[in-house]
Amino acid sequence: MRPPAPSAASSSSYSQREPRPENPLLLLPSSRVTKLSLGCPLLDRLLSGGLPAASVTEIAGESATGKTQLCLQLALLAPQSPLSASSLFLHSDLPFPLHRLRRLAPKSRPDILDHVLVAAAHSPTDLLSLLARAQRLLANPGRSPHRLPIRLILLDSVASLFRADFDASPADLRRRSALFFQISAKLKELAYRHQCVVVVTNQVVDVLEGGAGNTVAWSSGRRVSPALGIAWANCVNTRLFLTREVDRDGASGGARRRMKVAFAPHLPERYCEFVIRRDGVFGVEPAERLERLECAGGLRSSYIYQHH
Amino acid sequence: MGEQSGAQNAWDMLSDEQSQKHTTTGSGDLNDILGGGIHCKEVTEIGGVPGVGKTQLGIQLAINVQIPVEYGGLGGKAVYIDTEGSFMVERVYQIAEGCIRDILEHFPQSHEKSSSGQKQLQPEHFLADIYYFRICSYTEQIAVINYLEKFLGEHKDVRIVVIDSVTFHFRQDFEDLALRTRVLSGLSLKLMKIAKTYNLAVVLLNQVTTKFTEGSFQLTLALGDSWSHSCTNRVILYWNGNERYACLDKSPSLPVASAPYAVTGKGIRDAVSSNHKRARVT
Repeated sequence: MRPPAPSAASSSSYSQREPRPENPLLLLPSSRVTKLSLGCPLLDRLLSGGLPAASVTEIAGESATGKTQLCLQLALLAPQSPLSASSLFLHSDLPFPLHRLRRLAPKSRPDILDHVLVAAAHSPTDLLSLLARAQRLLANPGRSPHRLPIRLILLDSVASLFRADFDASPADLRRRSALFFQISAKLKELAYRHQCVVVVTNQVVDVLEGGAGNTVAWSSGRRVSPALGIAWANCVNTRLFLTREVDRDGASGGARRRMKVAFAPHLPERYCEFVIRRDGVFGVEPAERLERLECAGGLRSSYIYQHH
Repeated sequence: MGEQSGAQNAWDMLSDEQSQKHTTTGSGDLNDILGGGIHCKEVTEIGGVPGVGKTQLGIQLAINVQIPVEYGGLGGKAVYIDTEGSFMVERVYQIAEGCIRDILEHFPQSHEKSSSGQKQLQPEHFLADIYYFRICSYTEQIAVINYLEKFLGEHKDVRIVVIDSVTFHFRQDFEDLALRTRVLSGLSLKLMKIAKTYNLAVVLLNQVTTKFTEGSFQLTLALGDSWSHSCTNRVILYWNGNERYACLDKSPSLPVASAPYAVTGKGIRDAVSSNHKRARVT
């Protein structure tokens, strides 16, 4: 007979006990909540249901492509979703966009901000100590009974953490690389032991030549790739690439935005178009966007399109 | 018998080779350059950049090893050691479904319910025959590999052990690099011994890194110096434009060769441009 899965609280004594295999049948979606919806059926369809728990998903893109907006949206969706969770929002860009969070929060749920924990990370070592504290929080949910258990961890952005303090010398790149693996291992451990959804945003850098099929994309007329190189790419399970293209006809109304699955263990490489509105990030069918542009005379109609 | 006395003559070794079997990768072209598939009694390292299909191939092998003997497979079970959290059950289910569909297409006389005692061709049965270990640190990885000998002694039907990926937890800062090398060498020797003793395939998925050698950055397998001597075979997965390719880079008997492959909804299959008419099940 197959023994049951190891419990979350046993992390400290895990290596002292005999390892036990898990039965993959018990990991099937019917047996537990494993995905966090993005709040939009089109984006959820792109991701086969939403963002997976026990996994690290990266959202990479130029600035103002919707990364932070998506993170804020997810933090507000988590308490209302089947995941029924609080979120831990770790930000390295200052200040935390509190006004945007407040604006996105539903008026019907004034308590919802109680379920968003925010902490600033100023450096990689800072982040590691924050994750150690998070581990204690996650292992002792009973200590904060007024708050839902944390099951969503957001890091916005990983690239900013590594801007200073590192040159391009081989020694520094090795040192930086080692930190990627340390951070990723910690995030993945938290994700697995506590069935958390982990989202990390990343910036992009220009690439002149080379680059494999799934790591390079065109955005705003630039050929770009997610920052932090192949080392960091090895540290995430799923990579989502947000790109924008200015409409060829020059109409100011239409930045064509795409969310593309660059790689994922469970998803084919495909993309979905989306828009950024005051009330969040939503997928659109390409035809709808064009229709709306015609009707509204080429102004920023994507912002006033009634989606639901 | 020859192995137990410590010495084998050439005849023993030849009949040994014939009793060695291999696990199909799902792609005929890939099987061809590998001499039929992934070999038992050998350690095969498979490396590549993120997204090229290492995990997809690892899962495909964990499913294909289970193809029943009457359909040309090994009819074995799999151990899957997941160090990164890439093992997504919904995808494993899809790949199992794809394998079963191909079996039924290839052997139209068979039914989903085979005779008693034999494996039912249902995805749930394929999932249940994967012994899945999730490890979160290098100490857990060492513990699992040390435990494997005992586990495999109790589960003699395991014919493949996949480690996905083998170096992830060793790429953090180690204060004592010599210790890291010793640990990795010890693990690789142990895995080699396991492959031979239990007549199974050991598949080590590895990441690719950039190494600064001779004044420039080159792509290389992670922690290559610690592993390169202890793997029987090495396969590199890479992109050629928008196509995926596999290159057999090291083998005791086969030449260096490349072949294209594809990652489809059903799993690993021949590339669209392949000459193989359809995916071979065996």
